[in-house]
Amino acid sequence: MSSFAALGRPSRFAALRRETFRALFAAGIALIVAFVVVLLTSKAPLEAFEVLLTAPIAKIRTIGYWIDDAVKLTITGLAFSLVFQARQFSMGVQGQVYVGALAASYVALSPLGATPFGLILGVLAAMLAGGIWGFIPGYAKARFGANEIVSSLMLNYIAIELANYLVRVQLRVRAGVLTSPDFPPTAVFAPLIERTRIDLGLIVALVAVGVVWFLLYRTSWGLKLRLVGHNARFAEYAGIRSTAVMVSAMTVAGMLGGLLGSIFVQGQTYGKITVLFEGGLAFEGILVAIVARSKPLAVPFVALAYGYLRQGAQLMNVRTDVPAEVIGVVTAIIILLVSSSYSVDFFKRLFRRNGEPTPVSNAKPVEGAAK
Amino acid sequence: MMELFVTVFSAAFFVTIIRTTTPLLLATMGGLVADLSGALNVALEGQMLIAALTAVIVSVYAPWYVAVAAGLGAGALLGLLMAFFALRMKADIILVGFAINILAAGGTVFALAMATGGDKGTSINLPSQAIPALDLSFLSGIPGVGPTLSALLSGHSVLTWVAAFLVFAVWYFLFRTPWGLWLRGVGEYPAAPEAAGIPVNKIRTWSLIVSGALAGLGGAQLAMFNYVGFTRDMTAGRGFIALGAVLLGARHPVGALLAALLFGAFEGLSVVMPGLFSEIPAELIRMIPFIVTILALVLFSYRAQQLMKMRSGQ
Repeated sequence: MSSFAALGRPSRFAALRRETFRALFAAGIALIVAFVVVLLTSKAPLEAFEVLLTAPIAKIRTIGYWIDDAVKLTITGLAFSLVFQARQFSMGVQGQVYVGALAASYVALSPLGATPFGLILGVLAAMLAGGIWGFIPGYAKARFGANEIVSSLMLNYIAIELANYLVRVQLRVRAGVLTSPDFPPTAVFAPLIERTRIDLGLIVALVAVGVVWFLLYRTSWGLKLRLVGHNARFAEYAGIRSTAVMVSAMTVAGMLGGLLGSIFVQGQTYGKITVLFEGGLAFEGILVAIVARSKPLAVPFVALAYGYLRQGAQLMNVRTDVPAEVIGVVTAIIILLVSSSYSVDFFKRLFRRNGEPTPVSNAKPVEGAAK
Repeated sequence: MMELFVTVFSAAFFVTIIRTTTPLLLATMGGLVADLSGALNVALEGQMLIAALTAVIVSVYAPWYVAVAAGLGAGALLGLLMAFFALRMKADIILVGFAINILAAGGTVFALAMATGGDKGTSINLPSQAIPALDLSFLSGIPGVGPTLSALLSGHSVLTWVAAFLVFAVWYFLFRTPWGLWLRGVGEYPAAPEAAGIPVNKIRTWSLIVSGALAGLGGAQLAMFNYVGFTRDMTAGRGFIALGAVLLGARHPVGALLAALLFGAFEGLSVVMPGLFSEIPAELIRMIPFIVTILALVLFSYRAQQLMKMRSGQ
């Protein structure tokens, strides 16, 4: 039975169903663990959990928060998807967000920001800065063989300190305040729905999804990138310069990171730059990319689902005695479970002894009997 | 500039370097053991952070050595968790590592808020303890070099001496025992030891556990000696710098020690510089260890690459 299925091209819907089931299963386990944690620590655990699960959709305002989170998670998820598809572990989205935001802020607060081109110039400056920040670890790896995980992480810390410094010294409203003045309206994403955080960033995110999908699946660059990710040596034999693909993948991912920085500071949520505005969201793109299996078209859906939980946790933090950081536990468990079940059945792995192969003759008839 | 020179060549600065190096060195040793077995441990940061908080909370209720052991145990458990997901469940070890880092970033703040009754920043209102410093002031009795020796060697954390001993112990284990040979073999070319009947996954599991335990010791040192008490994100990239130190140290314990000392020295510099140069912004000084790590990594990788080319050219 299963060998027939393996020979034919697996149905897209079957794969989609399987992936959705895996993701929901992981989320279910993670929520159960979170519930136990809340149960042990909260005075009113049921109330807290109810807020976590229902609050984001309760009001127009909170729906706005949710969509805003989902938009940002989509972009960081896309950036991680791109590097993961090339099998690079560049972890630099956080740094790219900060340098992108800085570039966007300088444009928005300059005379250019007050012109009708303020918004688009800010976005472009942010993407340029993010692209450069993404290019550095890629180039260091391609040219010198420097490990991209370490260098991209170091660049994150450098970017954060740079932002702290420039906001404190140059961009601030006045001495002692760690935020910039409000950007002129021409440099801010226009709201799509009044009095919510939903703004043009939503459209930008959807366009980004389409662009990344097109780049990956409809261009020769995307084909090369996926080949390099699949088997770099084979790609080299096929005449693909894997280092060039690697560097360009990290640069494009960096541009997405920069774009996210611009969406942060030029969006309705802030409309100005502050220190540490990103709040750890960039790294949560790892979860989005993994659950979406690095498929751009799946990224926004995962971002919506995860953004819901994330916003639920924030509201729980405000309204009950449970800190929002409990969501970190949920995130980690989902990453662990979803990345575990890459090829083989979760339970089979769990109950199989180490190094002892599953007896083929035993396993197959059971499967057949079940069908 | 003169003041900087005077400071850098003073005994006090030497003591500062030793202090900043110790947590880095412990984490680097941890990273080294895992890396040599072929399992890159990118969770050093998270393991240090969780161990630091564990040690601080335990030290409120128990003697300092129990707290250090608890930190070590927390790190080891996280190592076991990594091994379970990466080896048994076949998840990508880098993703597993980052899952633990995310768990640590959120989980420690959550646990801190629970332990302090709502404070998400520091454990300042917890009466946590410190690791005692080893007093070697009797050394000053030695004629001639005595006072200098005493100034240099006295007053370090007990764990500093443990860390120094561990460099030797790890070297001895890796290069003078059969298990060390197995471990390196597993990292070098797993198929060969597998064929020779050496349990590859078991060795990797143990090296991840030891790796986590060493990072845990580093975390305990950080929160019970370098600083007394826990602050959110107090590891501030030290686990990642340690990962760089493993690569920079040419995957050898002595190299790792030198790399950790290098990064420790620059961290020490960023500790003393604000007092000397008040005109240099603190943010830029805090960047120094990270910039040095990137530069050192690039230079070293480039040199290693050139050496490889030279060898293959012959």
